Amino acid sequence: MTRLETLKKLESVLERFLAGVVEIETEQIEAFRGIDTLDDIAKDSFKGRFINNQLGNWFARYGRVVDGGRLKEDEVSTIANILSEIKSGLDSSDPETKKLSDEIERWREKGVVPKRKLVLKMKGEGAEQNIAEKFVALLKQESEHLEFEQKGSAHLISILDDILKSAEAKEDRMFMHLAGSVIYYLKINGYKVGPFVRRLKEIEKNKFGVKDVV
Amino acid sequence: MLSNAEKAYMRALLALKKRDYASASGFFRSAENQFAESADFRILKETTELLLAVKEDIFELENGRIEIEEIINHGKETEFRR
Repeated sequence: MTRLETLKKLESVLERFLAGVVEIETEQIEAFRGIDTLDDIAKDSFKGRFINNQLGNWFARYGRVVDGGRLKEDEVSTIANILSEIKSGLDSSDPETKKLSDEIERWREKGVVPKRKLVLKMKGEGAEQNIAEKFVALLKQESEHLEFEQKGSAHLISILDDILKSAEAKEDRMFMHLAGSVIYYLKINGYKVGPFVRRLKEIEKNKFGVKDVV
Repeated sequence: MLSNAEKAYMRALLALKKRDYASASGFFRSAENQFAESADFRILKETTELLLAVKEDIFELENGRIEIEEIINHGKETEFRR
């Protein structure tokens, strides 16, 4: 047997091995693809983009994978966490969005997607967070959001633009506070922030009827 | 959110499914920091890299043969003209 023939035989063996592994892991790969897609939807949601169609398609395509009960616990937990993140940003005043929000809730109630671990970590009754603790928690949440946004090495002004879009599209007031914080930081570093201040004021006015917050 | 390494591992498996071994190898390298301890991960990564090396050797051997054939053809043609 020549060297070339030996190498071709080895190539064939290795390809068959990898194809075999992929075949065994097909369901796993499909679950991975679902998680990957859901993760992209969550990112779009964070950026204030309209995700209803994507999320609806995701439920239609990957619902059976989750319903099948063949996913590993950590995969189910990952899906649950991503869905919770998405749900926190959904505007339930819109009927179509509410339908999707209810679908997430239905999955939780069925037990397919377990309730978030966060629920288990909550303090007992009577141990409600005071305002300082709430503020620290908010700063932590903002810091995590900024770290996530910063991964694409975007300029702070671009990040601010995304934050303002999120503030406009979502109920979560964190985006309003974060936008104000970033605007002030840019201002004390010599940037012109007038247009951003006007956008934030406009958003606040539309959402809460507040005229002069910043 | 998924970490970049988790995403890379998933994409490596999807690339293997499409028989895109070069992309799979790149994704495995991106995921290496987080999954280096996983035996399954190491087997898949090393097998993919071995397969790419074998394919490269095959390519070199086959291209080398074509070059030799061309030289011989050229030599015969030159002799014929003389």
